[in-house]
Amino acid sequence: MKYHIPQALVTGQEKKAESTYLLSFHAPEIAKDAQPGQFVHIKTIEAYDPLLRRPISICYVDREKGLVVLWYQVVGKGTKLLSSLKTGDSIDVIGPLGRGFDTAISGEKIYLIGGGIGIAPLIFLAQSLKEENNITAFFGGKNKEQLLPVNQLTSINCELATEDGSIGHQGFVTDLLLRRLALEKPARAYACGPNGMLEQTALITRKHNLPLQVSLESVMACGVGACLGCTCEKGSSGEEGWVKVCKEGPVFWEDEVKLL
Amino acid sequence: MIKPDMSVDIGGIRMQNPVMTASGTFGFGEVYEDFFSADELGALVVKGVTPEARIGNPPSRLVETPAGLLNAIGLENPGVEAVLKDYLPHLKGYSVPVIVNIAGNTIEDYCLVAERLSSSEVVKGLEINISCPNVKAGGMAFGSHPDMAAQVVRAVRKNTKLPLIVKLSPNVTSIVEMALAVEEAGADAISLINTLLGMAIDIETRRPRLANIVGGLSGPAVKPVAVRMVWQVAQHVKIPVIGLGGIITAEDALEFIMAGATAVAIGTGQFLNPRCCPDVVKGIFEYCQNNNIKRIGDLTGIAWKEA
Ligand SMILES: Cc1cc2nc3c(=O)[nH]c(=O)nc-3n(C[C@H](O)[C@H](O)[C@H](O)COP(=O)(O)OP(=O)(O)OC[C@H]3O[C@@H](n4cnc5c(N)ncnc54)[C@H](O)[C@@H]3O)c2cc1C
Ligand SMILES: Cc1cc2nc3c(=O)[nH]c(=O)nc-3n(C[C@H](O)[C@H](O)[C@H](O)COP(=O)(O)O)c2cc1C
Ligand code: FES
Repeated sequence: MKYHIPQALVTGQEKKAESTYLLSFHAPEIAKDAQPGQFVHIKTIEAYDPLLRRPISICYVDREKGLVVLWYQVVGKGTKLLSSLKTGDSIDVIGPLGRGFDTAISGEKIYLIGGGIGIAPLIFLAQSLKEENNITAFFGGKNKEQLLPVNQLTSINCELATEDGSIGHQGFVTDLLLRRLALEKPARAYACGPNGMLEQTALITRKHNLPLQVSLESVMACGVGACLGCTCEKGSSGEEGWVKVCKEGPVFWEDEVKLL
Repeated sequence: MIKPDMSVDIGGIRMQNPVMTASGTFGFGEVYEDFFSADELGALVVKGVTPEARIGNPPSRLVETPAGLLNAIGLENPGVEAVLKDYLPHLKGYSVPVIVNIAGNTIEDYCLVAERLSSSEVVKGLEINISCPNVKAGGMAFGSHPDMAAQVVRAVRKNTKLPLIVKLSPNVTSIVEMALAVEEAGADAISLINTLLGMAIDIETRRPRLANIVGGLSGPAVKPVAVRMVWQVAQHVKIPVIGLGGIITAEDALEFIMAGATAVAIGTGQFLNPRCCPDVVKGIFEYCQNNNIKRIGDLTGIAWKEA
């Protein structure tokens, strides 16, 4: 079930490094139904500019308190408006939308690979998989500050990589992934982040026969499969054509979409 | 308080209220089910259908502009046979009239789709989309030449008994000439406007933002153009006019009705507010109540009738 909550109460907004923010709001229906990898679609202003809603992945939910938490980066008009919200304000959201990660897995060794703000949906995924599986996360970012919210949000076992080496390995998350794959064989991997990172990750997981799910982005209008605007090319497993990121995704098995 | 009569008749299609969905913005009627029932609408207009399946244009297909949306979907659809088999049966349980938008490259294409759809008990009307840019006759759009538009309508008329709505493109010199031509050719109603041709350039990559280079502009940005065209057309034709282009609120819809529209349709507005259509129905009803309007039809064209 999808819900439209025109006036969800904002319960907190914290500024983090690299123009990122943690925003929480009260939406018990969404918190209850949301699956990891799903997103909410937000109207950032009542006026008509920006006109469209903005899709943001659900980063964390507190089902008892009915809270949904987002971790987002200010990149333009819509996210800038979002960052001006304060506790007590209201926010117009639709959700949970899209197909999330496949979480039918237990008793397995699982990898999460996240880059920058792409870590956000993987936090929620870890929240739901960690009881029954052995999770290792490879998270990368610009610097130590950008990765600080990770500790605040999850206690899973993380290996970090930064561009400047201020924490963890200096270099790419895929370096960490390769190093670890030389030692063990996990059952599945999940990735979200910049396209370059997803491409490199897919090259590696293919070589190691490791099933991979990726969470993709696209510009969206409706967010519910009505406009056919958010398409991405089908991968080797399908025939010619496009998939809708908002409905068939945003999470896909790596071979369902053309990453490379 | 009075209970205003909201019902309207569009070329023989009886509608309980004047609010319809705009083609291409509502899928095949299933996507907004979590937000409201299609039975709250006046009519349900579904995505443009062609004889064969079309995969549509490559991404990127959408660009947001100030108060507007540029789209270049390219008529992606599963083709008329798949629509008949896989999509329309799902709509059987609804009482709302279903209208199918039809498109093609040639006159024969339009006729074939119309004839096939006439076999479905679900379909209560057809909307001919003549704003498709790639056509047989030297690339000239059916939608920009009155004689060609009339030819399409006449030919389709022979292949179906269903009410025919003709959807006009705003990308023409004289919208009135187009409207008169399709009325004379046998159209039962006219809908306008389809999207306005536009484009946007990314100054970082220095390339057009849409893969298709150009796209159709919709949303609040086009509303004044659409209202003007409804105003002009409604004063010249006898058949009912369906007004659309940038409707978000009941106030927007009322503007179209006062300009001469018998019914209105909502596209982009639905993306902003998933309950846009039923909210507009409610707002129009309340306006009528508050202003002692007994029939919604009494407001149609009131802006020029009482001038
Ligand atoms: C399913 C999904 C989940 C997402 N989850 C998150 C999340 O958890 N946290 C987060 O910070 N962001 C997330 N995004 C990206 C977010 O939607 C965009 O950053 C946002 O829409 C930008 O809006 P804006 O008005 O601030 O920027 P705009 O003014 O629209 O654009 C500013 C710049 O950002 C670029 N941009 C716009 N949209 C996107 C996009 N979808 N992806 C990449 N670049 C874009 C534009 O090309 C432009 O250069 C997600 C996107 C999708 C599709
Ligand atoms: C994503 C999208 C897809 C559309 N597809 C169709 C279509 O298949 N056939 C058609 O006649 N019009 C199509 N249109 C045009 C709309 O039906 C409508 O005429 C136009 O968008 C103006 O109304 P609006 O501002 O309320 O969206 C489409 C519009 C959008 C935004
Ligand atoms: S955003 Fe409309 S179909 Fe995906």
